[in-house]
Amino acid sequence: MAEFTEALFSIFFVETLINGLLLGGVLALLSLGLNLIFGVIDVVWICYAEIIMLGMYTIYFLHVDGGMPLIAAAAGGVGVTALLGWLTHRLVIGYLLDAAPINQLLATGGLLFFFQGLAMVAFGIEFRNLGVSLGSLALSEDIYLSWTRLLSFAIAAGVVIVLFQFLSRSYLGAAIRAISQDREIMVLMGVNTKKLYLLTSAIGGGLAGLAAALLAMQYDVHPFIGLSFGPITFMVCVMGGLGNMVGGFLAAFVFSELITIGGYFAELEWGYVLAFGFFIAAMFIRPEGLFARKS
Amino acid sequence: MSDFRNTRRFFIGLATICVALAMGFGAQAADKKIKIGVIYDYTGPLAGGGSDLQALGAKIMIDYINAKGGVEGYMIEPIYADAQSKPEVAINEAVRLIEQEKVDMLLGFYSSAQCVPVAAKVDSLKKFMWITTCISPAVLKDRNLKYVFRPQVHGAMFGELSVDFLNANSQAKMGIAPKDLRVAIIHEDGPYGSGVAGGNAGAAKKLGMNLVLKEGYSATAPDLSSLVTKLKRKRPDVILHTGYNPDITLFLRQAKEQGLRFKALIGHGAGYGVADKLYDALGNDVDHIYNVDPVSIWLLDPKSLAASLPEVTAKVGAEYEKAKPDVKVKSAHVGMAASNAHVFFTDVLPRAIKKYGGIDAESLRKAAMETDIAEGGTLLGFGVKFPKAGESDMMGQNTRASPVVMQYVKRKVYIAWPKALQTIDPVLPLPKSSPYAK
Repeated sequence: MAEFTEALFSIFFVETLINGLLLGGVLALLSLGLNLIFGVIDVVWICYAEIIMLGMYTIYFLHVDGGMPLIAAAAGGVGVTALLGWLTHRLVIGYLLDAAPINQLLATGGLLFFFQGLAMVAFGIEFRNLGVSLGSLALSEDIYLSWTRLLSFAIAAGVVIVLFQFLSRSYLGAAIRAISQDREIMVLMGVNTKKLYLLTSAIGGGLAGLAAALLAMQYDVHPFIGLSFGPITFMVCVMGGLGNMVGGFLAAFVFSELITIGGYFAELEWGYVLAFGFFIAAMFIRPEGLFARKS
Repeated sequence: MSDFRNTRRFFIGLATICVALAMGFGAQAADKKIKIGVIYDYTGPLAGGGSDLQALGAKIMIDYINAKGGVEGYMIEPIYADAQSKPEVAINEAVRLIEQEKVDMLLGFYSSAQCVPVAAKVDSLKKFMWITTCISPAVLKDRNLKYVFRPQVHGAMFGELSVDFLNANSQAKMGIAPKDLRVAIIHEDGPYGSGVAGGNAGAAKKLGMNLVLKEGYSATAPDLSSLVTKLKRKRPDVILHTGYNPDITLFLRQAKEQGLRFKALIGHGAGYGVADKLYDALGNDVDHIYNVDPVSIWLLDPKSLAASLPEVTAKVGAEYEKAKPDVKVKSAHVGMAASNAHVFFTDVLPRAIKKYGGIDAESLRKAAMETDIAEGGTLLGFGVKFPKAGESDMMGQNTRASPVVMQYVKRKVYIAWPKALQTIDPVLPLPKSSPYAK
């Protein structure tokens, strides 16, 4: 108990809370694209984290082998993942829009293994690293914050605002929102749903590229990096209410705070036990997601 | 004249028969082969963490033995299988190789999480298994396996050596008495990390060191910031770390960004054994980090080894460079698998064939039980001897194996401990140039 009290009133608990917020920024960024795609097209891309992985490879090769500045390499990564998103819809999802959800899930699950295998054959199993560190911001003698994580947080918040504005204020955004509300009726109104789906998939893919740029600065790139993030991203989306971008954004922070606080007071793994336990409980209480609007 | 002709014909005939017989025997000898299932992780996260380098070492040795004409008339026929970094795949592949491919024995295994179940399975199938790499004590401890042998060092030895090193140097180098030394142990939570951490903790407690934290984590954890924060709160002088690869670089990066400071960091094999990758990811921050592992075979003084071995070490090094031309620091992983495979092909297998008449599991087991290699008799320097029945709770474990403590300085590897093998006066505590220096 004394240990617990000491930990609670220590300056390091403050650091833990801040770390939770910053991890939340990473998870929020990861979940944005997946949520957008689900919200509009009503299909869960299980392979989303693998598209991020391919984005990380693109950035790595452009920056390390191609000698491009990091910003340009990141832009290249966003371009490639946007194209991958477009292709995923054009070549796979487009044909499965009316299929049973389980078949859609299996198809994107197949893509997950395809992307993993492709990366392994093309790039090998070696861990690659950008070797870039943005350093950290010293708040006090004891508390340092990673610039990469601060950047992830800022970009995630920025993207949510921009996307929200885009969806609520632009003509295209209105069309995307309308199609997410009723797919059948929009066709009758003369809207080209196919085009809108492709555009949404490309935007979702591009967001994966943005996440890839920030992850590549924090993690090694290898064909299986998606396994570390795929399940957790999916859970964040479900907890926020699949398709609800603001809900997903908030859920990312609930999830990350539980992980870091649990990991601070007990062993690291207990943080995940706490977060996943909360997820299960939340699914019982609000199966439609914590932040889903009541219909 | 006719007698002479007949005699000549007789000798020509005799010579022809001899040549034919010799060719026949030759053909027969070349036909004989020992089928060996070689299992490592060629894909999945463990592959890049060191398993592919271990696999390369084993392959180099098999090719080397075959190029020399095999062993006692037997050519080696390897069947390489990929455990995909998953224990269940390792078990399935082991059973497939034994039951469908009808291999005579298995060799390899990088991950302890795979070794633990596979060793029990293979032993129950009464097949011979030669472990080159995985180190967890749990693979052999209290299991009394008959057909599983490990010339490799085991995990508790890793854990004990790093603590011995600190015990011997703490006062002299850091001015801290061992009992006042604040030690933190962090490890991946599989059998590998737990086994080494158990050795760390046992030895640290025995020497009365101040153990401020001991904690496991999943090697695939996407975030270790809470662990780093906890370490900052506990303020250890020394961190003893056992992990694979993505987790090691993630930990070191987050530790630097969050301002964790310490006096020494000692890693224990796996990801810490792949210096090139660490330097690629973290640059010169890697300098002065320690790694406990069986020694890199290229660091040993050739004079300390049996006369025939330095040539083999050089050959393995040349093949390694041929396979990986861009290697800067030769990884200990390659030499480890090559050496441990070399012991099997040059000591156990010839005895099984010559003395026990075959390559079945029983002959190989009897031959292995008689292995008695003195120090300096393997590429790794240590000797090999397996305990007799009832002598140990770890049957099949090489009792003469020992690791060393190495230190990375400017992309070079030096032996820091034991003193007899030292190639560097250990730099302790971390110099001010290190971002982790206290």
